[in-house]
Amino acid sequence: MDIRLENIKKKYKDKEVLNVKNLTIKKNIITGILGPNGSGKTTMMKIIGNLIRPDTGKVEYDGKNFESISDRLTYVSHNSYLFNESVYQNIAAPLIFRDMDKEYIKNKVEELIKDFQIDYIKNENALTLSGGEKQKVSLARALTFNPEVLLVDEPTSNIDPNFIKLIENILKKINNDLKTTVVIVTHNTAQSFRLCQEIIFIKDGKILKHTSTNNLLKSKDEFIKEFVKLN
Amino acid sequence: MEYILEGVEGAFKLIFSFDRQIYSIVLLSIYVSFASTIISSLIGVPLGLITGIKEFKGKRFLSKIYYTFMGLPPVVVGLVTVLIISRSGPLGSVGLIYTPTAMIIAQSLLVTPIVTGIVFTNSRDAGREIIEICKTLGANKKHTFFKLIKELKPLILVATVTGFGRAISEVGAVMIVGGNIKGHTRVMTTFIAMSNSMGNYDTSIAMGIILLTISFVSNSFLFNRTMGDSNGYKIRKY
Repeated sequence: MDIRLENIKKKYKDKEVLNVKNLTIKKNIITGILGPNGSGKTTMMKIIGNLIRPDTGKVEYDGKNFESISDRLTYVSHNSYLFNESVYQNIAAPLIFRDMDKEYIKNKVEELIKDFQIDYIKNENALTLSGGEKQKVSLARALTFNPEVLLVDEPTSNIDPNFIKLIENILKKINNDLKTTVVIVTHNTAQSFRLCQEIIFIKDGKILKHTSTNNLLKSKDEFIKEFVKLN
Repeated sequence: MEYILEGVEGAFKLIFSFDRQIYSIVLLSIYVSFASTIISSLIGVPLGLITGIKEFKGKRFLSKIYYTFMGLPPVVVGLVTVLIISRSGPLGSVGLIYTPTAMIIAQSLLVTPIVTGIVFTNSRDAGREIIEICKTLGANKKHTFFKLIKELKPLILVATVTGFGRAISEVGAVMIVGGNIKGHTRVMTTFIAMSNSMGNYDTSIAMGIILLTISFVSNSFLFNRTMGDSNGYKIRKY
């Protein structure tokens, strides 16, 4: 689904952290939100995910408000809260919330455990896992109910280099096969180029550029050029 | 030194003599402390959870009130309770003064802020995070509520057992409102204070040992329920 932000403003105390006049995130593609630390990327994602209320403006999802699409969108942060129970139960949680059939839950959870190569920890308590394992579990959990929109904040920040490709392939696969609209926040320019069709570049809470990935490389903005070069 | 050893020896003799008076004091202590902890938890847990998780104006001020009340001097609580329930007080006609009920009221006044404060402090960050993740995973209000209770169970237990520990070791307030009447309102702590002032060290030590044992048992229960194993993963660190 298309996500449209209109006149979004957000302040923390007296500091304005986000000011977006008009932005449309296209459906069925992977969009990256790129920018330096403190530029407002996570705030924007949380506003899209309805976890933070903006001071002004509105967000529309295919022209509808959040309430009517809330169970078709999910947000995963790099340090998402995991429940004090096994990895299996954590991944099954969204399906239990939806009162799904036990057999379906079992099959779906087993499938995701296999996709994320976390079979060896499926009976472990989620709180005992390493940062990278926790990140895989929280991403797997978010995919159990096949969301139409997946918002991922730093999807591979704690993941070993040899597993980064696995996560990226999963994100590409769900986008290709299920036409999931994926929005990722990342510092990693190379990753955004590998994954995303479009990039939104943010600095100081404002959008500097919203363009296709290839066009970002051609940007004449000095800050973007330097950022892309260094990352 | 000798009188201490004699006291310890006498204490063990007294414990294993199964003296009816001693054990009735122990049972009354457990009853009063248990009842006040239940009352305090029924008030303090929901109050701490709601005020901890919800954002509202005056929350900082409220937290200062909680912390102040967590350190209430027991004698002051005893005095306030006496003023309310004494014959000339507003609830004087009910006839609660020098009864176990009066002791339960005084202990509840002392323990409720402790339970509320602990739950409030710990649910501020954790509770909000649990509600947020439930929202992103499509949980309805019922599922979110049960997840919240399940996830915060170790912290609720910590608050409750801390409250029980405070109640069973309390002496000032129960002495004032209960009056330490033999066979009626005498509990372990008031008995220890009285025996000590009379020079009966063996009975004081015996009661002290029983008090410590109860404390050890309740804390062991807490440890097993919250820590689980040596990894200690059941309590999330914030």
